[in-house]
Amino acid sequence: MDALHGLLGFVFNTELLSQYGWRLLSGVRITAEVVLLSCSIGFVLAYPICRARMSRNLPLRSGAAGYIAVFRGTPLLCQLYLVYYGAGEVRPWLTGAGLWWFFRDAFYCCILAFSLNTAAYQAEILRGALGSVSRGQREAAAALGLSPYRVARHVVWPQAFLAALRPLGNELILVIKASALAAIVTLLDLMGQTRLIFARTFDFSVYLYAALIYLAATEGIRRLWNRMERAASKHVRQIEPLKAAHPAPPRGALPIVSAEAVPPG
Amino acid sequence: MGIPKLLLAVGLACGLAAGMGARTAEAKEWKTIRFGMDASYAPFESVNQKGEIVGFEVDYARAICAKLEATCTFQNQDWDGIIPSLLSNKFDVIFSSMNITDARKAKVIFSDVYYATPIVFVGQASEKSKDTSPAALKGKSIGTQSSTIHANFLETLYPGSDIKLYPTQDEPNLDLASGRIDYVVGDSLVEEDFVKTKGKGCCTILSEVQRVPGIHGPGVGAAFRPGDTDLQAMFNKAIAELDADGTYKTLAKKYFTIDIRGK
Amino acid sequence: MSAAGLLFGPDGWGALLLKGALVTVALGLVTVPFGFGGGLVLAGLKLSRWRAVRGLSEAYTTFFRGIPDLLALFIVYFGLQSLLDHAQATLGLASRLELSAFVAGVIALSVVVAAYSGEVWVAALRTVPPGQVEAARSLGLDRKRAFFLVVLPQLGRVALPGLGNVWTVLLKDTSLISTLAVTDLLRAASEASKNTTRPILFYGAAAAIYLVFSIASNAGQAALERRANRGIA
Repeated sequence: MDALHGLLGFVFNTELLSQYGWRLLSGVRITAEVVLLSCSIGFVLAYPICRARMSRNLPLRSGAAGYIAVFRGTPLLCQLYLVYYGAGEVRPWLTGAGLWWFFRDAFYCCILAFSLNTAAYQAEILRGALGSVSRGQREAAAALGLSPYRVARHVVWPQAFLAALRPLGNELILVIKASALAAIVTLLDLMGQTRLIFARTFDFSVYLYAALIYLAATEGIRRLWNRMERAASKHVRQIEPLKAAHPAPPRGALPIVSAEAVPPG
Repeated sequence: MGIPKLLLAVGLACGLAAGMGARTAEAKEWKTIRFGMDASYAPFESVNQKGEIVGFEVDYARAICAKLEATCTFQNQDWDGIIPSLLSNKFDVIFSSMNITDARKAKVIFSDVYYATPIVFVGQASEKSKDTSPAALKGKSIGTQSSTIHANFLETLYPGSDIKLYPTQDEPNLDLASGRIDYVVGDSLVEEDFVKTKGKGCCTILSEVQRVPGIHGPGVGAAFRPGDTDLQAMFNKAIAELDADGTYKTLAKKYFTIDIRGK
Repeated sequence: MSAAGLLFGPDGWGALLLKGALVTVALGLVTVPFGFGGGLVLAGLKLSRWRAVRGLSEAYTTFFRGIPDLLALFIVYFGLQSLLDHAQATLGLASRLELSAFVAGVIALSVVVAAYSGEVWVAALRTVPPGQVEAARSLGLDRKRAFFLVVLPQLGRVALPGLGNVWTVLLKDTSLISTLAVTDLLRAASEASKNTTRPILFYGAAAAIYLVFSIASNAGQAALERRANRGIA
């Protein structure tokens, strides 16, 4: 009975929501800004890192590998502390370099730390996706007389995009979850506002409200991504029953460029 | 995964919440007393190189335990989680410069006040103006520890300023030293200690905060779970005895030059 | 004081950092059997015949994978003891079970790790053809033996890469416990940097130690995978 009473008290705790709901919403806005900015900047950084990682130039390749190992091998919280409190320690130098305005702001520090971190993960995702396109396809396309740009544009990228779609969606979800660390360096994101409300009310259910908001965001993105993936891979699935209906080509026959290799568009 | 399962997930969360409401109280012989402290508050409590918690409140707690003939253990706990930790039985008493306020009294019970010190504004060493009124600090950034009377004070009376809240008091101090924020509000003794030692002359104490009834409360007390009234009574008795036999004064002299007893 | 003096001198903070590093490793290692074991149980529940059981286990995964680990740890860390007290009051037990910060941290991490590793186990379980269990049953093995003698030995190999990923996540998630109460590596670095006002030195040192752990884990994982894949084309 006690438990039921507690349950009802939680579900109908509208007082807390009506008093502090707007605070949670403003926290959601900051969280959304941090996540979207970090993910976009991370994506832009990820491509050159990925190319460097796949390059034949040894220093370039090992530099990129080192970057990825450091950012994936240490906790994000540690990286955030290094950026935020580390910048404070070298303030005279940063002021001299004209960069202090940037590091002074907790928001920018978070964006920097999160972008550098997610860039390492996204670079590995891109590398995996590019690696999933077989060499033979590139060679075949080149043999057909396509320019390197058109090989990339029409053969490699459409397939790599499909392969990268799901892991990139997962990475977006991970960044949303990781963004809660921003609260530790004074940013009033969703987690920050939640802590603040808790400090005022000592009502633990505010943490559960926050959990539900995060859950709605991550679950919503997961569903959206499933749909996007289904839409983007329509052509692949439509061909599959046909493939099954036809007998496999005899050994030694010329390989036919399947519909998978050259998606429309 | 369908919508019904999502609802189940919500249900799970609600179940957890319901469980949290429940508390039990019981009589206990206090042979061991576990103290919870946020050890980032020198000279009251801080961590030394060996990882031990040291400071005035540790010495004072030991003196109380000697009176109560109990064994003491000390645990470091982040401030934001210090009341939930007490309530979820991670330790028995919060002995960490916690000011007695009405909001906290809704969750925990307090001993009598065992110290009360002034609260101050700290600014950059270059700061000429001693004026720290809300009008003067409009648009300036002020840092302090979250979930404290200082945070509450700033949020209530300084709505025009940019208030930055940190997990510990050490962090706003560091950010003041690096120039990331303009002012810090904190306990006078903690801030003096910082300005003299770690701050290396970065900053200066500007003014004393006038205590606001309803926000600041009468001073610092030990906090217990609402059921542990026996422990509360034992502490009050010990606090009175330590005052009477002069132990408190001796201990305080080791750390402070001013009288912090504040009765 | 010089950087070397601050780290290794008689008044240096190196010893505290090393102690913290040991706590980090201990937190990770002690969590493994509970977290990975819990994940296996969760995977079993997900493949259950009963809808309600499947639904509940899916809900568990969705909840703990969908919210920030920091929040999950916080909820479990503080919620658990209250639930325990509640259960004990209901059962009428006299002495209350008390959890140390370390144990509570291990439980909180295990709850999260179980949700992550459960997915890995499910994928691994699906790779074992049901025909094998049927064959084992027809040879007279009961369900338990069919699982432990036929299915489980094959799972390890398939699940190893995925579990390796979860382990690296776990090792880094231990740093979140530092925001609760346990003096782990990051907490030790934080204490040192606040006392000395040298954050770059101490957070840098902590990052280097985490990196060593991560490289060692990768090497260990590669060796385990080589061993597990012996004799398999």
